[in-house]
Amino acid sequence: MDDRRRRFEAQALPHLDAAYNLARWLSRSPADAEDIVQDAMLRAYRGFDGFRGGDIKPWLLAIVRNCWRNIGAETKKRAHAPLPEEDDGRLVAVGADPEQAAIEASRSRKLNEAVALLPDEFREALILREIEDLSYREIAEVTKAPIGTVMSRLARARAMLKEKWMTEEHP
Amino acid sequence: MSCPELLRTQAFLDGELDDKAAAEVERHLENCAECRAFSTGVAGLSEAVRREVPRYRAPASLRSRVDAALDNENGAQKVVQFNARRRSFWFGAASGIGASALAAAFAALMILPPSAATLAQSVTDAHTQALMSGYTIQVASSSHHTVKPWFAGRVPVSPPVADFADQGFPLAGGRVDDVAGSRAAVVVYGHGSHEIDLFVWADRGARLPGQSTRHGYHSVFWKSGDLDFAAVSDTERAELSKFVSLVRGEAE
Repeated sequence: MDDRRRRFEAQALPHLDAAYNLARWLSRSPADAEDIVQDAMLRAYRGFDGFRGGDIKPWLLAIVRNCWRNIGAETKKRAHAPLPEEDDGRLVAVGADPEQAAIEASRSRKLNEAVALLPDEFREALILREIEDLSYREIAEVTKAPIGTVMSRLARARAMLKEKWMTEEHP
Repeated sequence: MSCPELLRTQAFLDGELDDKAAAEVERHLENCAECRAFSTGVAGLSEAVRREVPRYRAPASLRSRVDAALDNENGAQKVVQFNARRRSFWFGAASGIGASALAAAFAALMILPPSAATLAQSVTDAHTQALMSGYTIQVASSSHHTVKPWFAGRVPVSPPVADFADQGFPLAGGRVDDVAGSRAAVVVYGHGSHEIDLFVWADRGARLPGQSTRHGYHSVFWKSGDLDFAAVSDTERAELSKFVSLVRGEAE
């Protein structure tokens, strides 16, 4: 394996989960997410010489986001049925009390649905901040938006989510 | 939203402010009920999202697809090199015992756990092949916070990862390898000028060899929970034993 490939794998592949997670939340489809990430990794590899050092994660996620934006509007529409699968490991609550576990699983599912239903620019800001732990500056880099815009999108995302989740929680 | 300090309060909660600005926001929070309520709401929500919203992990099929796409980009010659390293055990077996025996062995492996001798050969081969190719580490880090999560989604096991630099065995990184057909996490340690590979894979009920020495490489095997472990190195056996007791203290 040549040195360039080795460097790329050492730097980029540790972020494959982050790339997939972002693609999955943006596209809301496991199959599309895989296509997007494969495309993105190939583009990243081709453009690796243009990467000027620093933290590779925002650079890579920006490519993932571009690849997602490039897929057809039809694909996006098709994927617009964002229900997290029931058998998702995270949704199976661990506990002795089955009733309590069922309530927790249902709360968890509602929160996931609420996140999936956020408009694109709010969803991506929230996922990058809360799940990928990116800083405002890094989110701005990934989404090609000014930091002020990132901040207001994040606040808006949280307000929408809170409203939705709280009403679901206390019907 | 009406308080002009709301976005700065949010930045404070997200850990984006320096000490001076953070102190200002803290003072503001004492006087502004709106920002106080906002910050309680954001903190609760943030906590719930981090707890309940899954971070999807790249499936193994995607990793293979990316590998293949990069191979394709690199040209056919490199595909062979890359696969040869990965399948070192099979290549070694094929040249040694012939293709039909290999097929039989492969069929048996699908059903039976590998024999102790197969395991001993497999980990030593994987270790030496990795050393010869110079490709022993895929994630280089002395921090278990970096190495341990790197394995998630790459191997079906979560190996114990700890740095033993103080005891003379600094953590160097990790890679993914094969042990007799099982995908294994390999935690890589240094020891003086030697390298120690700690292989960890899911227990399939195989009988482990205990200790083994092949071609000057020592290996020590053990089970812990539902995992099988093998430590392999060309360092002295006593040193390897010391390393194993460190790991076992950590793992159990």
